[in-house]
Amino acid sequence: MPWIVLLSLLSFVCILGIFWGEATGHRALVGGLIGVVLLAYSFILLFLRKGGFTGV
Amino acid sequence: MYKRLLGRLLSWTLRLDVAINRAYPTDFNPLYYTGGLSNLFLTVLVLSGIFLFFYYVPSLNDAYTSVEFITNDVPYGMIIRGIHRYSADAFMIAILLHFFRNWFTERFRFSRDEPWISGMMLLLFAGFIGVTGYALVWDQRSELLAAMTGNALGAVPLVGGWLRSMLFGGTGLTDLLLARMLYLHVGPATVLYILLWWHYVRIRHPKVWPPAVWTLFSLGFIFLFCGLLPATSQLAASPGTVPSRLAVDVFYLLPYVGLKYVAPVWLIALAVVIVVYGLYIPYQLPETPAEMGLRDSGIAQVVDANCTGCELCYFDCPYDAIVMVPSPHPGVTKAAQARKLFAIVLESRCVECGICIGACPFEALELPEMLAKDVEEQVLSACRS
Repeated sequence: MPWIVLLSLLSFVCILGIFWGEATGHRALVGGLIGVVLLAYSFILLFLRKGGFTGV
Repeated sequence: MYKRLLGRLLSWTLRLDVAINRAYPTDFNPLYYTGGLSNLFLTVLVLSGIFLFFYYVPSLNDAYTSVEFITNDVPYGMIIRGIHRYSADAFMIAILLHFFRNWFTERFRFSRDEPWISGMMLLLFAGFIGVTGYALVWDQRSELLAAMTGNALGAVPLVGGWLRSMLFGGTGLTDLLLARMLYLHVGPATVLYILLWWHYVRIRHPKVWPPAVWTLFSLGFIFLFCGLLPATSQLAASPGTVPSRLAVDVFYLLPYVGLKYVAPVWLIALAVVIVVYGLYIPYQLPETPAEMGLRDSGIAQVVDANCTGCELCYFDCPYDAIVMVPSPHPGVTKAAQARKLFAIVLESRCVECGICIGACPFEALELPEMLAKDVEEQVLSACRS
């Protein structure tokens, strides 16, 4: 559960970073942050499953 | 010797499965989805490739400039180029994992030789498409690749000169080269989908897509790479001064490294031997009579009176050997009297595995040479002894 919260917070920070990167033209950073968000989501899904919050 | 090696590789593969299954839920094990992951990367490649296609100019003068324009001036062009670049490597990694896993677990037996052979073709085409992709950038690496390809083609006995001239559009470097390379990049990519159809046609329940966890993870990894290590070109090609060093992508350009040590004609011969051996793998270990006896049970037979048309056997047959047709008449048993459908076994596809027997709760299927009661007797006698 703490990992899920941490990853959710990380995703939120990255999404703020995506907006900032788009506004300031740092597009490589935006690409990287999208990657971090997707990776975080994948681990959130995994931990939800391992914690029994989602079924098969 | 080969059989013992294969047995050992199978054992290691299964141990790896068990180790991964301790860390992940079983249905999330990425090794079960190497085919699905290949499909995911292929889809990403096609979508990003369509984007790049609209900006790319296939001529010696403008190709490099157009790629630089995509990278530096098109919004998110650098990211999409990176996605195309890194997905190509991920595609090859997934295909190779799929290839070795299926080899080591002997998933080429029975009627699975067709998926194996089509898979070999897919691997070949994927490699070819990757190489032609590197040529399109028309930087110094592309120029060197073109020169090496030309030399290798020229070394093919009898038709070498003609092949070289067909690819280059003449005896020297012409403006037709990149147009042909573009066609050889996009055309075979279309053929991949035909080969995929062939790959799946005999498999009843193919895992064509990875679970969401691995889809997100794979896409995330690719995006992260694009941000950290943006795909870039080398210096622009300069006709007349072919560079001597090749920046190697090990997943696609390794054969070109071989050209440094081996004459082109020998490298081509080696490639042919490897491909022919790959196609021969399903037939390398003919089954012994004892092994044949284990599955020499006759084509599965539908017991007309008992079939209820429930479709369980149809869904469970991994070889797509059972079809459901409208029932010509009602069955005899109570459960079968109201049936709308009736199961038919396609003899050419049945491998006599008996999976349908286990799937049917109504005793409506039998293997004629291995009836359920015989199996029961064998099990009981084995238990008694």
